[in-house]
Amino acid sequence: MNQHTKKLEQQQKQQTTETKLTEQKSAAREFSSVEEMLRFDAAQTQVPSSIEVRLAESVQKELAARKARPWWKKLFG
Amino acid sequence: MSNLAVSTVLTRPGMDQDAQQRLELRSVAPDFAELYCAHSRQIYYLCLRVLGDHALAEDATHDVFLKAWRHRAEFRAESSWRTWLYRIAINHCKNIRRAWSLRHIQPAADDALVANASVDSSSPLHVLELKELGERIQKTLDQLPAEYKLLLLLVADDQLSYEQIAALTDQTIDAVRGKLHRARKAFAIEFQKTA
Repeated sequence: MNQHTKKLEQQQKQQTTETKLTEQKSAAREFSSVEEMLRFDAAQTQVPSSIEVRLAESVQKELAARKARPWWKKLFG
Repeated sequence: MSNLAVSTVLTRPGMDQDAQQRLELRSVAPDFAELYCAHSRQIYYLCLRVLGDHALAEDATHDVFLKAWRHRAEFRAESSWRTWLYRIAINHCKNIRRAWSLRHIQPAADDALVANASVDSSSPLHVLELKELGERIQKTLDQLPAEYKLLLLLVADDQLSYEQIAALTDQTIDAVRGKLHRARKAFAIEFQKTA
């Protein structure tokens, strides 16, 4: 019984080590050039959604300000 | 790029108040929103790596696109939207860095050291932990002269040709090629140090 438990433990340990190695292998990567690395990094980089929200607000403000301009200013700049 | 229509923001049931109040660029300026979708990643990435700070990059990307929106009528079809946006972004980041460098001393890789180094820039770059990749790239780029940094970031964009990079950086194609060779080498040296 004891021997069986030890064997199981050993198997589990081996499996854990193998899993860790596989994880390391999948995390490791080789890039053939600087460009490839930067391209990969750019693709991984998330653009914060707050930029688009701020931009929408800014554009709307500008459009509102333009609408509020008197006709003669629109005509003669 | 004309016909930028203004429309009201649609609110949907089940959305929180913040989300309901949040404006969508698509509803304010649909054509411009398309432009933003197509190019924001590259512009944000350039700003992030040139400025080395998320908050600054966020502000810069907003400002770049706002400038583009204000001056969209001046856009000439002889260049692409991407290169036009890059030009605005490069100038904007330069101004920010100029103001910043007045207060800080910036370290830069020694050109002579790069020239004499035995590192082969064509050899592959190994990365063991992808999670730290962005951080290592930033550290590496921060050690390079600003010009090398910019050239590497531009050449990494598939949509840009050497000719366009030369035009964006105001130099000849041969100069770009020569500097890129040294920039790759300098990057490889500095990247190894970050391991």
